[in-house]
Amino acid sequence: MQALLSFDRAPPFAAPLRFFITAPLFALLAGVLLLVEGPGVLASRWTPAALAATHLITVGFMLHVMLGALVQILPVVAGANVARPLLVATVVHGGLVLGTLALVAGFLAAAPGFFLAAAAVLAGTALVFLASAGTALFGVPTTSPTIGGLKLAFIALAVVVGLGVTLVLALALGWSLPLVDLVDLHAGWGLGAWAGILLASLAYVVVPMFQLTPGYPARPSWWFPWALFAVLVLWSLAVAGAAPLLVRAAEALAALAGMAFAAFTLNLQRQRRRARADATYRLWQVGLASMLLALAMLLAVALHPEFAEWRGWTPLFGILVAVGGYMSLILGMLYKIVPFLSWLHLQNLGKGRVPAPNMSKILSESAAMRQTASHVVALAGLVAAAVAPAWFARPAGLALVVASGWLFANFGLAYWRFRRHAREMACLAQP
Amino acid sequence: MSTIRSFMTEDHRHCDDLFAEAEQAIAQKNLGAAVAAFEHFRNAVLAHFDSEEKTLFPTFEAKTGITMGPTQVMRMEHVQMRALMDDAAEALKAGDADGYLGHAETLLIMMQQHNMKEENVLYPMCDQHLAGETPELLARLETELAEA
Repeated sequence: MQALLSFDRAPPFAAPLRFFITAPLFALLAGVLLLVEGPGVLASRWTPAALAATHLITVGFMLHVMLGALVQILPVVAGANVARPLLVATVVHGGLVLGTLALVAGFLAAAPGFFLAAAAVLAGTALVFLASAGTALFGVPTTSPTIGGLKLAFIALAVVVGLGVTLVLALALGWSLPLVDLVDLHAGWGLGAWAGILLASLAYVVVPMFQLTPGYPARPSWWFPWALFAVLVLWSLAVAGAAPLLVRAAEALAALAGMAFAAFTLNLQRQRRRARADATYRLWQVGLASMLLALAMLLAVALHPEFAEWRGWTPLFGILVAVGGYMSLILGMLYKIVPFLSWLHLQNLGKGRVPAPNMSKILSESAAMRQTASHVVALAGLVAAAVAPAWFARPAGLALVVASGWLFANFGLAYWRFRRHAREMACLAQP
Repeated sequence: MSTIRSFMTEDHRHCDDLFAEAEQAIAQKNLGAAVAAFEHFRNAVLAHFDSEEKTLFPTFEAKTGITMGPTQVMRMEHVQMRALMDDAAEALKAGDADGYLGHAETLLIMMQQHNMKEENVLYPMCDQHLAGETPELLARLETELAEA
């Protein structure tokens, strides 16, 4: 009831937008790193440059967009209003920018000071987010699979950050911990539970909404987040209990669950009633196909662990999951969300007296399509680089710089247009 | 027994179908068919808005005493969607397919997020508070939508 009465208390546009505009710059930095360092970045998952590049994409790009988007959509999809959204967004955004840079500097310079700073800032940022957005979310009853999934995802985020901070402190202070196991858990909870459950919970809403597809079936929608969460708990227990067969079984289950979801979503998209194949649709096709390939690799390595001995295995898996999977799916959503929010806020500014420019006047479909093409080229380059780093690492780095710079330009230009229209409308709307 | 939520949600899906038909016609570059399909869609949406604004919302407001809450927000969003439909229809009549697609995309997302709020929040509240009069209310809504 409380949530209902404040139904349309959408946060100011500045709250989510800052995240969407700075996120591409971190992907661009990952491209620069690959361009400068070359094949060394992909030599193994443990090189400082590989760890830095991974976190530029997962924290700098993915987490950045996810937290910014959540401030915006929690009121809409869950009726959960974050108190003081602009203040929360400012603190979380600032913390993520500084924390990510400190973390990357820590990896590249192997400097304990940077690690300690990153641990403090990122832990503090996550606490602020979980305390404010989490309070709002856990305050609403679980009346839809989306709300239930989001709650589980928030718990998973606390686990990911907790493990990440522990690892960074271990590196900075030289604690003797089983680092490899903890890194696996950290990655599994991050990419599987937090990002995976968040993605599924939002897909329930946005896939039918943007593409006019049939909805996800109700009962499996309730179960899927719980199933994924349970598999991650099982897997963690297996790692903690040093039970390698159980670890492999949990990996296979996680892969099968993810593949079922991706295949089901691809099939839903096939039944869409929209006539045009727009950038959002294309990006989701690429994202889901890439996810399927990555999860097939996870299933294969669960059955035949010796596959992972190939140097390129983990880099290829990571590229397919993070850049091919999550980044494509996130881009697909942002190409609808950014222009729609611009329109909505301009509409409110005009108070019905001055018409707002429609979505395509803010960010055109052709601009989105061209950047999408550059993203696919970057993805292909990165996949080639994982296989043959000596040949393709630097060209792939360049392609990622181009695609990310283009994305930044697309969102930056959309923001510039929004500002220009807002100024014009403020003058015209004067009574 | 049918609920307000299921009945009105079904009408949302019906409007979605008509929207898709207009878009299909544009994709096949059949402007005449697109104009007709869009008018069909617009009439269905306007009938839906009318049945809410004249029958469902006032009944809810009278029963609960909540007049400045969700129903007020829904009315404001109806105003925005009426304007978007006017813009889209005008672009279509002028033969401006790109202009139409820009307005239609905006309209679609506006409409979907509006429907989501009604289906997940407002209609369940209606079902909860108007349980006593649901059969008569549904009969009235059905007649109003059928007449349109």
